[in-house]
Amino acid sequence: MTPRETLEHWQRAGRRVVHEADAKDLLQRIGVPVPTRDPAEGPCVAKLCHDDYPHKSDHGLVRLGLSPQEAAQATAEMSARIPGGTPLIEAMENNAVAEWIIGCKRDDTFGPIILAGPGGILVELIDAAEIRLAPAEPQTAEAMLNSGPGAKLLAGLRGAKPADSAALADLISRISVFFAENADLISEIEINPVMVRADTKGLIAADALIVLAPAAEKREHDT
Amino acid sequence: MAEQDTNQSAANRLSVTEALDGLFDPRTIAVVGASRTKGKLGQAVLALLKSNGYGGKIIPVNPSGGEIEGLKAARTLEEIEEPIDVVILATPVSVALDALEVCTRLDVKVVVGVTSGFSEAGEDGHENEARLRRIMQDAPFRLVGPNCEGVVRPASDLQLTFSPMFNGLRPGPVAMISQSGALAGLMALRLGDRGVGINAIVSSGNETDLTAADLLDYLGNDPQTRVVLCYVEELRDGRRFAEAAQRLTKAGKHVVAVKGGRSRAGSRAVQSHTGAMAGDDRVISAVFRETGVIRARESVAAVDAVTALAAGRRPAGNRVGIISVTGGLGVEMTDLAESAGFEVPVLAEATQTALSRYVPFYGSVSNPVDLTGVVLTNPTYVGRCLEAVAADPGVDIAIAIITFVPDQQFIEALAEAYETTDKPVLIIWTGAARSDASGDSLRDRAVPVYDSPARAASGLSALMAMKGEVA
Repeated sequence: MTPRETLEHWQRAGRRVVHEADAKDLLQRIGVPVPTRDPAEGPCVAKLCHDDYPHKSDHGLVRLGLSPQEAAQATAEMSARIPGGTPLIEAMENNAVAEWIIGCKRDDTFGPIILAGPGGILVELIDAAEIRLAPAEPQTAEAMLNSGPGAKLLAGLRGAKPADSAALADLISRISVFFAENADLISEIEINPVMVRADTKGLIAADALIVLAPAAEKREHDT
Repeated sequence: MAEQDTNQSAANRLSVTEALDGLFDPRTIAVVGASRTKGKLGQAVLALLKSNGYGGKIIPVNPSGGEIEGLKAARTLEEIEEPIDVVILATPVSVALDALEVCTRLDVKVVVGVTSGFSEAGEDGHENEARLRRIMQDAPFRLVGPNCEGVVRPASDLQLTFSPMFNGLRPGPVAMISQSGALAGLMALRLGDRGVGINAIVSSGNETDLTAADLLDYLGNDPQTRVVLCYVEELRDGRRFAEAAQRLTKAGKHVVAVKGGRSRAGSRAVQSHTGAMAGDDRVISAVFRETGVIRARESVAAVDAVTALAAGRRPAGNRVGIISVTGGLGVEMTDLAESAGFEVPVLAEATQTALSRYVPFYGSVSNPVDLTGVVLTNPTYVGRCLEAVAADPGVDIAIAIITFVPDQQFIEALAEAYETTDKPVLIIWTGAARSDASGDSLRDRAVPVYDSPARAASGLSALMAMKGEVA
């Protein structure tokens, strides 16, 4: 199945929120780097992914810094508590110098847009995201990273190493193109955080979420 | 989805360009609802069309026939045998809908619907709206409005409106698109007061057919247009609007927009940070910025921005030279310019020497230049000082500040100084309103004149066009 066929398949199955494990599978196919699954050594992250629980931490469905054995126990415990989820054990990223959010949505007025800015817990603290029309060309993505307070974070505050902005710009552009091409099927894509390593070292999507658009026949009923 | 259907279904529908070419340079206009009774919309429309000197054929349409305003009236639209470029509907809503239906069978290019009582009337307008949409589905013509104040094009002496707010405008580089007729009037009057020329004004009303994006694309591409001023509350085809704006700004034209009204966002459940972070207002600011649209906070700031841009002079940089007949206003202008990101540098020595011929020892020739009241003793001095500052190689934009005007020659000297330079010049004339007649030489040249430093600062910000928003 092409990524688009996968999206259509999910939509037909009546899914609205596509949980992290499935979202990452799809994003990996369009070139988004994701963490190693089921690593032989720790530290690991253990999660239980479920369409009905997109905010995993609120439900105790994320545990960090575990050994592979502890991670397996943790996901078993979570699955016992919330049936129907997909366990996800991944290598934990420890080399990031910046955490970023990349988000796409369909704006009511302008259609597909892309947003990028300081991610992780910083999304709660500052309102520094840059917004552009999607698809955003690579130069536009670079401009997003050079604008606003986020630019200083990427350049490295007080002697910190500069982040791999080139890899981040490439990812922003890539996601925006994929979203714009499939905006009839997708309402939102969010990768938060993207763990950005030091310059030339690349990045990893630590969490991801896809929200599907309602199927066409259903949409007509809604409006 | 219904909106799109009306735009696509009729195979024989005129293109936007065909229709608007007819609208802005019409040979024949039919005024439905033309009346002899003062106070009726149709009476006002016909009277304004005539009194503004429209040279084409006007056909009043009124069931009683006879003559109205000295013109032979048709009893119905069907009686008119020739092609009609524009039909304006200025009747109560049910009559207007009947006439609109008749238009589908006639050779009509554009209908302008001044009439109200459609979707904007809520529940009460629901049936009218439904009928309007049914008629438009197969209509070969295009519709402006309904619920609008009409269309104005000074170069064609065309005043298709019931509002006298658009009287006496001169042709020029500004096109205006407004979803509010009253705001169009407010902005047009103020631009006209400054002598800023108008290419066309369209009050687009409910935009049942022709949208702000259609109009932006058409008016922006007109070689006469240098600046497009938009007041919008809801951009139905926002993506096309943004794309049209980007084409224009890339081609060196300007788009200044006021977005009125907070939209009803946030009602949907937010499943992601993206949804919360990309709220409607932030997206509008971001997209305007990306596409080169200057966003003005409100309509008067927009007028101030457009006034500066309409003059067509681009600054080479951000260095401002300020001369003032009073210290205080020069200081305030300097503060505002600097906080908007401009520099107010010390003037070149040659400029200072030139200025010191006119400025007494207790004034200042650095920057801002305090000319002091002494310059009022000779009517040409302020003009010469402006020339000197504008000629300074370290100055990109010159600002001259005056209060009251001792005589006509004083203003003429300023207007002549404006002509001696290609650099942008802004005049702050705090007493402008009270010395109206003496401003003709500035108005004739559409010199950007402001009544306060703050309003001049809106114009100043707009000159650095890609900077985004003006207060």
